[in-house]
Amino acid sequence: MSNELDFDQLLSKYKADPFTYVDIFSVHTGRVSFKAGVGQEVASAGGEWLQILGTALYEINRERNPRIVNAQVNGIVAHINSELEGQFVEAGVKLMTIKHPLKKKEIIEIILKDVLSLFPAPESAKYFFAIDIQSRIDKKGARAVTIEPGEEILTMSLMKRDTPVFYKGERGVIHSIYFKPGLSVGQGEPLLGVCAPEKLPLIQKIITRVKAEWDSEH
Amino acid sequence: MADNQPTPQAVLQRLRRELLLQDASVRYDRTEIVRYGAFVGSVIECHDRLPRAMDHARSLIAACAGSGRALASGTVILADEMSLCKGRFTRSWHAPRGGVWGCMVFANTLLPQWRSFISLTAGVACCEAVREICGAPSCLRWVNDVLVGGRKLAGFLVESYTEALHGEEFALVGFGINVNNISFPSEIQGTATSLCRILGRDIDLTEFTTIFLAKLAFTFGILHHEEARDLRGDGFSGRQGNHLLLDRWLSLSDTLGRRVLYGFDVMTAPQYQAEVMGLDPSGGLILRLADGSVKTEYSGEIRYLE
Repeated sequence: MSNELDFDQLLSKYKADPFTYVDIFSVHTGRVSFKAGVGQEVASAGGEWLQILGTALYEINRERNPRIVNAQVNGIVAHINSELEGQFVEAGVKLMTIKHPLKKKEIIEIILKDVLSLFPAPESAKYFFAIDIQSRIDKKGARAVTIEPGEEILTMSLMKRDTPVFYKGERGVIHSIYFKPGLSVGQGEPLLGVCAPEKLPLIQKIITRVKAEWDSEH
Repeated sequence: MADNQPTPQAVLQRLRRELLLQDASVRYDRTEIVRYGAFVGSVIECHDRLPRAMDHARSLIAACAGSGRALASGTVILADEMSLCKGRFTRSWHAPRGGVWGCMVFANTLLPQWRSFISLTAGVACCEAVREICGAPSCLRWVNDVLVGGRKLAGFLVESYTEALHGEEFALVGFGINVNNISFPSEIQGTATSLCRILGRDIDLTEFTTIFLAKLAFTFGILHHEEARDLRGDGFSGRQGNHLLLDRWLSLSDTLGRRVLYGFDVMTAPQYQAEVMGLDPSGGLILRLADGSVKTEYSGEIRYLE
């Protein structure tokens, strides 16, 4: 968790290039066939329940089981490893890059992720707060709730199998909640952003500064 | 002394009956399945009253670990009545005398990809037990609710528990089956039922529980049997190469083709209406929404709309 942030440098970086570059990797082994081209605009999953699939990016075929992989973010296809077209690849091979335009809220979140301790999802599943944590959030708001290492904070729910999730990290307050009840979270994606109580003023300073600067120039 | 008193010997004897159902047309080996599943019910604790079986199971696991032992996988904890039963989220579960209330402790040795199937086992076992003991037309509603005549007869909830001393992971398979209990709290009067209500007579609780546990043993045997086949590269033994447990689930369910209301917590926060298209190989529910898009859900619950 960093105490020192060079706001001017950070903000000028995002002003100069208000994009993030999202690498797309093969989801498993198989033969790859690209479905999108360089420069093509791609859309993320849409609809109220994210039921409308994003743009098809590539197909991967393993043992005659073809699987289309769709975009999870919107943007422009910036790069494709075209030499892999029709080739057999291992899982986790970088296939392409999407240039995703950042909104103000996303820039704030990206900067905050450098400052907060992120608590990642242990498995792809849906999550909800443990009863005790939820009642404390309901009473006081998340940013007034301090969590301790080893405390049961969430329940991971998959096929009616509920698994308690225990907090591993430094004692802190729940600053950011990255999941919504009812929507799946991928393995490794952040569920919570936690910070020490004394860092809350720094966090607020970041939010205020980015909002002010961005609103004045964009 | 508890009313519901099944014994490990009776469960095993009942499980052995599955061997008599050998069918040359199927690809699976019942003997192997019975051998894999026989751990279920190898220890059975029968209590007159408990607050909650899962909490008792956690205490037993922790106490065993603390004394340098391990609680036997397959241990079943039953109580004639429970005072602090709960369903999903903050829902309470009414557990008076006359029902089958308890949990089975499973030391989770399954590979991660098969752990989601644990929830399916209890529903399948209960549905088969109901059909066998009284022929009531029970059906499964995804994930594992057992319904008769559109009313809920039984519900199951799996809770994972990692023992603190050695880090051993357990799945606690909780079950609540309305058998001879006939009164329900007002909020579920219109949606719950019991075998006694359906049949107009009492069922022998111990006999029913014995059959249910034998069926649960067989379905857990299927899980291990199919995992072993998959690891050997033999493929699954259900129809058209499907996982055998999914096959059995599908044969007992009336969910496919139904119009449903879906929600992660469908009672307090229903999300959308859809038509059920099928189950994916992981047991996920494939739904077609009103706009024609197709979405697969791996958690949450449904209610039938028609």
